Amino acid sequence: MMKKRLLAVAMAGVMAMSLAACGGSNEAAATTAAPAAPAATEAPAGEEAKAPETDAPAAEAVDLDVAVFYYTYSDTYISSVRTALDAALTDAGIKFQNYDSNSNQTTQNEQIDTAISQGANLLIVNIVTSGSVDASQAIVDKASTAGIPVIFFNRAVESDEDEGKVLGSYDKCAFVGTDAPEAGHMQGKMIGDYVLENFDTIDLNGDGTISYAMFMGQLGNVEAIYRTQYGVEDADAVLTAAGKPALSYFDASNSDKYQVDQEGNWSATAANNYMNTNLAQYNEDNNNMIEIVICNNDGMAEGVVTALNDKGYNLGTDGSVTIPVFGVDATDAAKQLIADGKMTGTIKQDAEGMANGIAYLAKNVGAGKELMADTGDFNISEKVSNKIYIPYATYTGE
Amino acid sequence: MKFATNINTKIDAYKALDSKDKKTFWKELLLNNAMYILLIIAIIYTCAQNPKFLGTRSIVNIISLSAANLPIACGIAGCIVLTGTDLSAGRVVGLTACISASLLQAVTYGSKMFPDLPVVPIPVVILAVLIVGGIVGWVNGFFVAKFQLHPFIVTLATQLIVYGTLLVYIMTNGNNGQPLSGLDDSFKNFVTGSILKIGDVPIPNYVWYGLIVVVIMWFIWNKTTFGKNMFAVGSNPEAANVSGVNVMKTTILVHTLAGMMYGITGFIESARIGSNTANTGLNYECDAIAACVIGGVSFVGGTGKISGVVLGVFLLRIIFVALNFLSINANLQYIIKGLIILIACAIDMRKYLVRK
Repeated sequence: MMKKRLLAVAMAGVMAMSLAACGGSNEAAATTAAPAAPAATEAPAGEEAKAPETDAPAAEAVDLDVAVFYYTYSDTYISSVRTALDAALTDAGIKFQNYDSNSNQTTQNEQIDTAISQGANLLIVNIVTSGSVDASQAIVDKASTAGIPVIFFNRAVESDEDEGKVLGSYDKCAFVGTDAPEAGHMQGKMIGDYVLENFDTIDLNGDGTISYAMFMGQLGNVEAIYRTQYGVEDADAVLTAAGKPALSYFDASNSDKYQVDQEGNWSATAANNYMNTNLAQYNEDNNNMIEIVICNNDGMAEGVVTALNDKGYNLGTDGSVTIPVFGVDATDAAKQLIADGKMTGTIKQDAEGMANGIAYLAKNVGAGKELMADTGDFNISEKVSNKIYIPYATYTGE
Repeated sequence: MKFATNINTKIDAYKALDSKDKKTFWKELLLNNAMYILLIIAIIYTCAQNPKFLGTRSIVNIISLSAANLPIACGIAGCIVLTGTDLSAGRVVGLTACISASLLQAVTYGSKMFPDLPVVPIPVVILAVLIVGGIVGWVNGFFVAKFQLHPFIVTLATQLIVYGTLLVYIMTNGNNGQPLSGLDDSFKNFVTGSILKIGDVPIPNYVWYGLIVVVIMWFIWNKTTFGKNMFAVGSNPEAANVSGVNVMKTTILVHTLAGMMYGITGFIESARIGSNTANTGLNYECDAIAACVIGGVSFVGGTGKISGVVLGVFLLRIIFVALNFLSINANLQYIIKGLIILIACAIDMRKYLVRK
């Protein structure tokens, strides 16, 4: 029995390598070639080590061959999740292979086909096109045809109106992520509270209203849309409830009330260039300085802080004026900026919590249990039973 | 004097034309300078809508945004003169930006990539980015020259290789893809500090570095044998070969020089943005190529001037900033960008079609 299984694993490995060699047309294929080789050679060792514990409890326990798809390797937050998930799966002795979908849904779908034909028996998917029922349904269909479970994570698989449509269509699927609007709500509340407390310091020109700039990460992304909307709306709600005027966008002629990274990369560069251009026009000399800055993520916030630093703001020293800058993610860099007094607050996305949640579900599958078995400790969506939310948290320094 | 006689002969030549030719003369003049005419209209319009567009701050902002893009454009222009292109430029900028940042993080910074590394002297870092950029450029040039591969394919391949290397680099030493920031003050001051102010508006130092790069590149293009060889190879490699130009050496050198320019861009971007991730530099080559083409460096090969490249970079940047000042919707900005590139290329090619 053992020998046959080893042979199968080796064959799968060889197939993976040959497939990777054939599909040399894109970079994603190239990245799969690297993990394929060690997976094939390490498999026997892992198999032996695992054999006693998996064989013992139940007959239906499965040897997992997990395929993990990341929407892009270049995303900062996703990189933290990848590191944590790699560690969690390795610790659990689960065999896995990572794919970089390189921000392309077509690439991801092709990779999923490849992985299924390679014999993967659990898919963990960080979908590229977030919030699209069509994209996620296509993946669920692939999984259900192959009869294998699929765990989505981080990026939303359906919009609020369609909640449950995809996740409810297949019993072996689950979602581990964050409640997209939550980050926006938390950021808005944090901003509202902060502005209320420091209203007069923030109001540099003393006109009684706070002018803000908003940097959006990507058009059409659910997270970006909610953060852009609620980051301001909820702050306004706090302010108006306390009898203060709502925030006002710094550029009256811009009806969008945001500036978006045109490449859709949530990048520091885009925010930095916008902010520099804005400051050329809106500054204390013209008495129309931008008084707070709200960013969809910490990368953009960092770009803004650099632009402000160049103009002598947010230096974190006694003499310099600080324009409050808010982000989301709580990256190490942002935490450091907050500690240095150059940035004001961010919303923490718990990368390890998410990775552990995913690994927990994967272990369920490995033990032959239901995907969502024993998940009572997790924060589960009220509307959809197979949707686990990893909570956000406000971060304004330690 | 020479200039005046030049003008006079031109006026005489114009007077000698009959009325029909005079009409075509004006038409040609308008068409050939359409970009500049459009630019002037755009500036006047923007200024009328928003007078701050021509304020000191705004002009310094346009100059600094342009200066940051000058080295990469000057580098890529050489590849275009050889009828090629370079798709790896942006990723090389990303890689060198991350290398610069990792070597120049402040010792006190909490999540430093190499915790035990003291702040490396700046000249060493500049040398490092020149070498890294140069190596990638050399590889590009070698495969283009030796195997007669189209630069599009070669640089597409190196783009992927460099991106992969960048992803590996940014994951190493427990950095796990986190942005590289917390740069040392000496580095930040070196790049974004200011030694000269106009009124109370400081001019960042990287403007001067951009200027130095332009002067050096102008010298190389116009005053050296290598520069002349480059144009010879660009217009006709066979003819250049016959007349004793070492085509292979020239091609490799042009690409290596380009790679070094990307290295310098990476070095500047690293401090200018202050936060470096795997996405840094993404698609930078697109703007640089567009700037070159707008500035009259033609894909036909063998033509182009450094002054044109500088003009192209400025023109593109002025348009982008103007779109911001006019608060134009992001969707529309894509369309306007695309139209400008299309029109510029069409006008450029028209000159060559007319000649034939």
